[in-house]
Amino acid sequence: MNRPMFEIGANGIDVGNVVAEIQATVAEKMKNGMYVDARIARAERTNIANLKNDEDFLAFYLECLRDAVAVDINDFVIHEKRALFSKLLVALKKVIWKLLKFYTYRLWSQQNQTNTLLLSAVESLEERYREKIRNLEERIARLESKDACK
Amino acid sequence: MTDRSRHVAFVCPRFAEGPTVGGAETLLKNLARRIALSGRKVTFLTTCARNHFTWENELPAGSRTIDDIDVHFFPVDPERNVTEFLNIQSLISANCRVSVADELIWLQNSVNSGSLCDYLKENGNTYDRIVMGPYLFGLIYFASQIYPEKTLLVPCLHDESFAYLKSIGNMFNNVRGCMFNSVPEKELASRLYVMEKSSVSSVVGMGMDDFATTPGIFKSAHDIRSQYLIYSGRREPLKGTPLLIDYLNAFRSRTNRDVKLVLTGTGHAEIPEELTNSIIDLGFLSEKDKHAAMADAVAFCHPSVNESFGIVLMESFLAGTPVLVHSKSAVLKYHCKQSNAGFWFNSYPEFEEELQLLLNNQKLRNAMGNAGRQYVLKEHSWHHIDEKLFVALEK
Repeated sequence: MNRPMFEIGANGIDVGNVVAEIQATVAEKMKNGMYVDARIARAERTNIANLKNDEDFLAFYLECLRDAVAVDINDFVIHEKRALFSKLLVALKKVIWKLLKFYTYRLWSQQNQTNTLLLSAVESLEERYREKIRNLEERIARLESKDACK
Repeated sequence: MTDRSRHVAFVCPRFAEGPTVGGAETLLKNLARRIALSGRKVTFLTTCARNHFTWENELPAGSRTIDDIDVHFFPVDPERNVTEFLNIQSLISANCRVSVADELIWLQNSVNSGSLCDYLKENGNTYDRIVMGPYLFGLIYFASQIYPEKTLLVPCLHDESFAYLKSIGNMFNNVRGCMFNSVPEKELASRLYVMEKSSVSSVVGMGMDDFATTPGIFKSAHDIRSQYLIYSGRREPLKGTPLLIDYLNAFRSRTNRDVKLVLTGTGHAEIPEELTNSIIDLGFLSEKDKHAAMADAVAFCHPSVNESFGIVLMESFLAGTPVLVHSKSAVLKYHCKQSNAGFWFNSYPEFEEELQLLLNNQKLRNAMGNAGRQYVLKEHSWHHIDEKLFVALEK
């Protein structure tokens, strides 16, 4: 990811060509699943309004969302930023986490189930309407070509 | 100069004085000053409000000479039904159809100044041209009906739900003409409105004063050791600042690169905990400091999709810094294409690749920065804009 993708000299830049090249590379990488990432789903949350009419974006967003839909409910490493009493504070936090786990586990596992079901429903709706629109477009094209032949 | 434009009046809801005014107000004030400098008489009619959220009458009513312009301040009408205004506004924002009667209620409860309109009615016959904007205010809608044959709109039009209202379409159709800020803005207006009666429409825009910057000064003054992006202006969802912060967060996490974000301007930005050390919020800076901050940045990122000109984009070009803009902003994308000084992104992956490219290639950054500077000096010098402005006034 850190590797430079394009090497462009200083002279004769055409930003239109560069952006087109980047878009082609992004499309290729998307196909290979390189952007299926929960972090991207979170980053795109405010971009949805801008791209509401962009079919490809919705498909891409749903793919990222699949990665983000399940909240991590497992144990995690507990840290303490404050230097003073840090060991004591970590121990205290661990006890609190253990005491609350039975409650949060039940809550979040149910939430994860709901998230997954909702995402599946949105995906199936998207697929269904995409199929419908494709069929209608094909039908219109057929009718138009018939008309043109008359 | 002909008799057609000896005395020009301006109408704008706020007068650009101090740090918190927007681009449209700055644009109208600058146009007024250029017209005054050309020897024409200029009168500026505005309200006593400064805050674009509360619209309270903060300034005293009356006339003052500010920056060689004769400015008349009138109080904003107190009797606004804000609840009714917001109810209809939320329907319009959600693209729901509202009746023309409701559009009118919305406009009547928007920012208005009856005393300004009365003054314009009484004195309008002494003006040869009345320049007014931006389009999205009741004040402009009603003032444009007083002397439509003399009125030139500076609409600062965006592709947003309000632009599709019938009343707004009628306003564009009834005035003498429009002075647009960019070609895409004019194209948008031609797509949305018939503009049969308005015989004059020109692309004028705004001129930019050149400035010099010394590389490295800002970074050393603020002890910034890593590369950074910059955004200047109001921080609010409509300007796309939450999107920029989210993108920076994802970029840093996915690429493990220590890229910072410098914010200048006003408004509140919600900064996630993990970015507290990576976002440097400097608040309102002097023009000189802002330009120095722009000059040291890897790129200026302007994620707003609703811009009719983009003053900060031009400033960034003048500072020799390339830009990254959202592809849904036709105007900003147009400037990038014309100047060869910026990239546009549709989604995060494009942003990531473009930022990586700029971070890794200083030669490219320099070349793009230089191209941007040349573009502004050629296309947006005041000399060039003056010519277009005076032709538009004489039409």
